Amino acid sequence: MRAQIQQPRTGGRILRNGAFVALPLVVILSAVADPTLGRELLQWVPYLASGFMMNVVIALSAMTLGTVVGALFGMLSLAPFRLVRYPVAAYVQLFRNAPHLVLIFATTYIFPFEIVIYGTYLPFPDWVKAVIGLAIPASAYVAEITRGAILSIPTTQWEAAKGLGFSHGQALRWIILPQCLRRSLPPWMNVLASITMGTALASLVGVHELLHAATDASTAVRRLDFTIIAYLVVMAAFFTLCYPISRLTRRMEGRFHAA
Amino acid sequence: MPDFNVTDLFVSLTSRIGLNYEFLSTGYEAQIWRDGFATTLFLIVLLIPVSLVFGLVFAACLTSGRLWLSVPVRAFVEVTRNTPTLVQLMFSFLVLNTFVSSLVGGVQNNPLSPFFWVVAVVGLHIAALHAEAIRAGIEAVPASTVEAARGIGFSPLQILRYVEVPLAFRASLPAIVNNLINLVKLTTVGNAIAVSEITYASIMVWTQRDNVVSLMIVILLFFSLINFVVARLGLWVERRLAVPGYGL
Repeated sequence: MRAQIQQPRTGGRILRNGAFVALPLVVILSAVADPTLGRELLQWVPYLASGFMMNVVIALSAMTLGTVVGALFGMLSLAPFRLVRYPVAAYVQLFRNAPHLVLIFATTYIFPFEIVIYGTYLPFPDWVKAVIGLAIPASAYVAEITRGAILSIPTTQWEAAKGLGFSHGQALRWIILPQCLRRSLPPWMNVLASITMGTALASLVGVHELLHAATDASTAVRRLDFTIIAYLVVMAAFFTLCYPISRLTRRMEGRFHAA
Repeated sequence: MPDFNVTDLFVSLTSRIGLNYEFLSTGYEAQIWRDGFATTLFLIVLLIPVSLVFGLVFAACLTSGRLWLSVPVRAFVEVTRNTPTLVQLMFSFLVLNTFVSSLVGGVQNNPLSPFFWVVAVVGLHIAALHAEAIRAGIEAVPASTVEAARGIGFSPLQILRYVEVPLAFRASLPAIVNNLINLVKLTTVGNAIAVSEITYASIMVWTQRDNVVSLMIVILLFFSLINFVVARLGLWVERRLAVPGYGL
């Protein structure tokens, strides 16, 4: 019986480590098997790579913006004034439940293509709009995570800090926030993975990112086997980016539960 | 015709605060938009049971203890969870759909519509998330309970059916509701392959009318409302199924 329970675990471990190389291996093997296909792929790799850089840039900027705004909103949602609390709660509810694609459409079509500051025209490119479109849901999730983390710290911690002579600000800085940070890291990384995968949606509003690049490449080459490989490359790229994040998250969650 | 008067009143009232809903009093565009809402709702109603059934099947495979069942499903779950749904959808539609077309001899014979692919891809994506939640629930069922069931002569399938799944389902219900809210949001990817759900229908309207803000407000409220209902239903089911004293 014990062996039966153990088996999937070892199988899972082989699979977990094999998963990193499996998709790229398929791509490389099929490129080697058919040299004409391999040559086409090699030609398009820089184009695809430039697309993927855009995904990474969008994801990182959206997460940075979303985290700053979200952490602020999370603290505001615990403010003692209803006038502050209710609008923040409405913002979080509305944008947490909104599809990412809808928000990307909203920012793309509502914002102008350039903005005027003191008479100088600044271009407002589509990828920046996509960043804002993804930062909005990110901020809503992060606000919820921050709020949950602050609420999860027992009141006795505040009282103990006060008893030790910490001021309110000092207690927040040295006692409450470090605990919040540890608690909110796994869910924050879930948001990171979700936003990273959301960057693919920017292709639908014409941002030059990986999926868009793959579509361009497959329309230019017009070979079914190349189309398959191109999309496998896209899958492999996102997988190698998101899989480590999700594994790390699960490990941290496990450690947090054990503690 | 009291219906028309309500529409006209709504259009004139909203135009006073700068919103443009004039298309509602035209027949064609209003019809497209209504159909968009209907398609999105239909997708959601169809996808919830599809995702739950496949999620249960995947979870049963993952916990079966048989490598030939658990390894392929585990691989599928990991790939699905860690790649964007849009990429999966494009891959299925452009590659798998082409295979199916060549198998049945030509695009005209292909019975699979874009709608089918949205249901398949989003359904299986959410099923993978459900499977993880249910698997965690099944593993959380106390070993002594399972041993007791085995002791009174239950077969492995019976244990799954009568002991593990009922308890696991209750434990994983919050995660499942969370996944269902993701499901509602994911239906919008159908837009990419021209399934006329609400975002696709809205694009048709706003390219003509240039009233993005007005439509956006309604779309955001629409999704908020659906997800509110889904969350409430989840809470209701959770309360209905609660086992007194079990702590779930």
